[in-house]
Parts: sequence; structure tokens; C-alpha cells
Amino acid sequence: MSDALSPGDADIWRFVGDNAGAWDIAGEIPRTVLSELGAAGLLCAEVGKRYGGLGLGSQESGTLTAHAGSLCSSVRSVMTSQGMAAWTVQRLGTRDQRAVFLPQLTSGRLAAVAFSEPDAGSDLGAMTTQLRFAGDTVIVDGSKTWITAAAYADLIVVIGKAGDDAAAVVVPTNAEGVSIEKVPHPIGCRAAGHARVRLDGVRLPAANVLGGTGLSLPFLVTTALAYGRMSVAWGCVGILRGCLGAVTEHARSRHQFGRPIAEHQLVSRRIAELYAAERVATAVCRQAGERWESGSPDLVIATVLAKHVSATQAVHGSASAVQIMASAGASDGHVVARAYRDAKLMEIIEGSSEICQLELARHALATANGTVRQEEAQ
Amino acid sequence: MTPEQQTEKAPFDMDAVVDEITRFVAEQTRTSPEADQDLFTTGLANSMFAMQLVVFLEQSYSVTVAGPDLQLSNFRTVKSMAALVGRLQAESAAGSDV
Repeated sequence: MSDALSPGDADIWRFVGDNAGAWDIAGEIPRTVLSELGAAGLLCAEVGKRYGGLGLGSQESGTLTAHAGSLCSSVRSVMTSQGMAAWTVQRLGTRDQRAVFLPQLTSGRLAAVAFSEPDAGSDLGAMTTQLRFAGDTVIVDGSKTWITAAAYADLIVVIGKAGDDAAAVVVPTNAEGVSIEKVPHPIGCRAAGHARVRLDGVRLPAANVLGGTGLSLPFLVTTALAYGRMSVAWGCVGILRGCLGAVTEHARSRHQFGRPIAEHQLVSRRIAELYAAERVATAVCRQAGERWESGSPDLVIATVLAKHVSATQAVHGSASAVQIMASAGASDGHVVARAYRDAKLMEIIEGSSEICQLELARHALATANGTVRQEEAQ
Repeated sequence: MTPEQQTEKAPFDMDAVVDEITRFVAEQTRTSPEADQDLFTTGLANSMFAMQLVVFLEQSYSVTVAGPDLQLSNFRTVKSMAALVGRLQAESAAGSDV
């Protein structure tokens, strides 16, 4: 963490922690804070140094993401979006496109990735956003919804269809025909800038289409989401750490029936469960991170597992945290109140729990015997 | 997953690469595919598995599959994957990059 959390960065994070509650209530993070985090490379920390990034590995980046998530899930959601945008450019873009777009993402400009549409959530194959080519120009039409960080974004990586294929195009939000409308009152990550994005005959250089056309939609989505799922998983670890910090302090200092509530067994059991949840989520994220760092093909399924397990643990753990804190934590803006609402959203975004379960079941059915043998052999 | 993994490589051996990819697909699906079998239309592969294949090829052959090469057609059969590996290794040997 020392590289990613220099003394200067520690000041930024302290500021985030001190203000997260107020941002949750206001439903907005000051733009200057996000720009400052972005310019420090902290919003997409895995981007290489040659593009002005921090060049962190998956594990260090995960630790950073969890740290952000322990303070403010809205900031962490913006990180997830920025990181996923950078990863998509890195993965799908040509060398020239990487050179054009990645330095922008490490110098204070903000980005989002737009998959979901009013009629295409889990069923992304139903998306109708269209890219049409006319010479050197691409024309984009469509409507995206619940796009995290879109309300702040300078650039949005829009996933759409190009004929029978799929494509990802980098859309500057100041382009003519782009309109952004904030989701009024999200249940969680209230300051993450979720927005509806309308694209009405948006004309852009064809050079903004990442890697050109001919990509398959499911393949493109799976690739782009892999980063986002890892980031959400670590964000859930952060949610649990934030809860654990608040709850342990409270349970030691709050007295009822003549002793600290930590000494009441029904309270201490919840603390044990919360601690176990944080450890389980951390372990499953670290395991997936190892796969990313070693380039193991298992990273794909390990990432789905990490996202699913961490989100589930965060929901259970944050509910316990609110129960322990009771009235002390039952106001909007409080770290456990935010955790409770933010965690629920984590079971929904970047592949709902149900979609993750379908993928895990499919994997188990295809490989279970072999996997068991392999694990035993190690 | 980094582009900086170029090392001295043995000459490209198509048959050996086909065998290795076949073995990987067999391990992951418990079905041994023919080299020119369409893995997607025959239900062996989906988009999740396609990404596993990307990472497998990158790790095993020190290539980077990015940008326009992330087309499903490149992953449709064992043979098309082996051909992709051959082309990417030749390109990196020639010092070009996407």
C-alpha cells in the first residue's frame, strides 16, 4: 500500500472519510475531490506508468479499492467505473487508442462504462443502442440507464450493437446529442452519480470505436465486466471493514445493563459473524487476485465467485452492524447506515447475485469432478 | 496479462499448440473437442469460457490478445485459436503491435 497511499494521498483519503456521510445525504461528491483522486491516478490504479498511472497489480489495487470502500462506497463506485473504463480501453483499444485515452483517465478526467438499458439489464443481449458508420464517422443512438458515475463523467465507454456485432465507443459527454439525467434517489451509493444517458444521433470519429467492429456482445461484456466485478468485490470487503471498525469501537464503549454491550453474548456473536464475513470476503478476493496476477484462466470464475461471495457477506455483515449500532447508526450518512444500503446495491450491479449463481453453477456442472481432483492434488 | 512477456521462443509448432489447447478445453469441459469443432455452437463454450481461453492463450504463449483480435471467430475452434497464437507470435517477433 505504501506506493498507493503516500502521505499526500492519506490526506485525500482522510478528507473522503470525514465527508462521506455528508456526500451520501447530499447525493453528490464535489467534482474537485474526484478530479484530485483521478489526477493522483487513484481512480484507475492499474493503468501502467507509461500512461501516467500507478501501475498497481491486482492485489495492491484491491487493497486500495477496499480502503476507499471502507470510507465511502460512492467514491469506490466511481473508482470501479473509471477502472473498468480504463481496462476496457486497455483490452479492446488499439495502441493509438490507449495512448489517446488512458492518459486522460490518469490526469483528472472522469469516465464511466454504459451497458444497461431500460429493457436490457441482466439480459444485455437485448440492448438496442446502435452504432452506424458513415465514412470516418460513427453515429450512436440509444438510451442507457443506471450508469454509475455518468453524472460526473467526461467520457463514457458506450457498449452497443453494430449490425450483428458489438462495439464499444468512447463518447465525450459534451458531444452534441448526449444528455445525462441523474437517477433521482438511489437506494445506495447515493453520491456515485448514477444517471440515465441518452444518445441521440451522436456523431463521433470512427477512431473512437475501440478496436473496431466485429466483436461479439457477450464476449465484450464479459471482458469489460471482469474488472468491474473484481473492483466491486473488493469494495464489499471495504464495506465490511468500515462496519467492523465502527461496531467494535461502539461495542467496547457503549454500556447497557451495567457493562459494555460487547460483553452481551448476543452482541458478541454478531461481532464474530461480522469479523468472519470480512475475513471470508478478503480471502475470496485475494484468491481471485492471485489468479489475475499469475494470469491463470481460473481468474474468470474466481472473479465471479469473489463478487458473489463478497456482496452476499457485505449484505449480511452490514445488517448485523446496523443491529449492533442500533440508534447510534440508524441515521442516513452514518457509516453502517450507508453500508447497509450500499451493500444491497452490490448484490444487484455488475452481474446480479442470480446471474453470478448461474455462472457458478454452469462452471461447477462443467468441471466439478476435475476441480475437486485438482484441488486435492495440490 | 502484461505485454512485456516476450522471451526467446521456439519456432511455432501448430500441431503441438493444437494439442495443448485441446487438452485445456478438455480439462475445462470434460469433453475432448475436434480441432475444427465449433465450440460455441456445440455448447462447449460460452462468453465466460471464451475469456478463460483468452487468458490461457496469453499465459501459455506469451502473447497479448487485445483490440480487434478479441473476436469470437478467433476462439471458435481449437484450430482458429492455434492460428491466432501463430499470427500473434509472428507479429511480436516482427516487432509490430496492434
